[in-house]
Amino acid sequence: MNREEAKRILELYRPGTADARDPEIASALDQERGDAELQRWFEQHCALQRTLRRKFRDLPVSAGLKASILAQRKIVRPEVWWRNPVWLAAAAAIVLLAGVASVWFRPRGPDRFTEYRARMVSTALRVGTYQMSIVTNDMAPVRQFMAARGAPADYRLTRGLGELSLTGGDSLRWRGHPVSMVCFDRGDKQMLYLFVLPRTALKDPPPSVPELAKVNKLLTASWTEGDKAYLLAGPEEADFSRKYL
Amino acid sequence: MTGDLDFERLVDLHYGALYRFALSLTRNESDAGDLTQETFLIWATKGHQLQDPAKVKAWLFTTLHRLFLETQRRQTRFPHHELDEVIDELPPLAPERVDRLDSLTLVELLGRVDPQFQAAVALFYLEDYAYAEIAGILGIPLGTVKSRIARGLAQLKHLLLKETGASGREAP
Repeated sequence: MNREEAKRILELYRPGTADARDPEIASALDQERGDAELQRWFEQHCALQRTLRRKFRDLPVSAGLKASILAQRKIVRPEVWWRNPVWLAAAAAIVLLAGVASVWFRPRGPDRFTEYRARMVSTALRVGTYQMSIVTNDMAPVRQFMAARGAPADYRLTRGLGELSLTGGDSLRWRGHPVSMVCFDRGDKQMLYLFVLPRTALKDPPPSVPELAKVNKLLTASWTEGDKAYLLAGPEEADFSRKYL
Repeated sequence: MTGDLDFERLVDLHYGALYRFALSLTRNESDAGDLTQETFLIWATKGHQLQDPAKVKAWLFTTLHRLFLETQRRQTRFPHHELDEVIDELPPLAPERVDRLDSLTLVELLGRVDPQFQAAVALFYLEDYAYAEIAGILGIPLGTVKSRIARGLAQLKHLLLKETGASGREAP
């Protein structure tokens, strides 16, 4: 092994780690011990590696992140509706319908709203149901809860949602923006999730007229009203619009 | 690792490292926070499936990296500028001048390295993972990991030289 080959191998060496156990590096280190010029290079290499490693490890961690993670932990494993054989059969039919629906509800290209919608739907799907931070059937304390956390609190419910039983809510964050999640009991052991985000958080907020889209396993309706963007997500129903919007 | 206390301890142990890894990949605090939260959310629902407690940390890093790749696939790709990575032609970097750089600037520079190499380089510096462990987290062969780290480091050094003029060579 010549000096340049040894350097190339030692470029991957990090002082203070187990890297020296790597046979290739161990061999290059042997070479370094008998080569004064290589030793000088190696000392500088090690100093640079220590500096870079320290810099990366000094990256500041976002304030409040731990609290946000722990808040999300307040989750219970859901009774997942699509694991029920009856619903599984229904899901198969829905997949079939989705093919037809995709013609009607043509998917849009990737943009910020679709990312937001995908994230909220995946949250709803993964979680299924929340052990919510606030559990109540009274909207007033839910609004107070959201306001106290800087999340949208003066959201307006559609007539259909206003007729459903409220179960509670939670405040989430998306890309640093506060999101209010309000949960409703549909009355058949199924949940509906209303996500409310400040309209300015989106480059391309949804239109004022509710727009339906099947996202993953849920049906969603999205619209903008005033300074807020609304996203409603829940299991698909034939008369979803008529009942809830 | 099912109780709230265990979960809190797990978060305590790893959220900082995971966030830094996410920040190295995204260079955006909000996105990094989202990725870290999402990773723990997945742990909360699927972590019980992991049999070996010793693999928790690697599992978290692997999950975060996969989530990052998923978001990348959804985003528009911007043209990437080819960077010089010929190590032999680069003058040595003076560590003391690199030391004056802010950590976030360093991450910005990493963001200009070929995206294929970024995760390997970030793991190389953030954690004392062996190359084989990095290979496991990224799901690529050991030889590929070494190659990506070497090429990524070369590009990063090239950028650091430009940023700091931090050559260790003495003036003639």
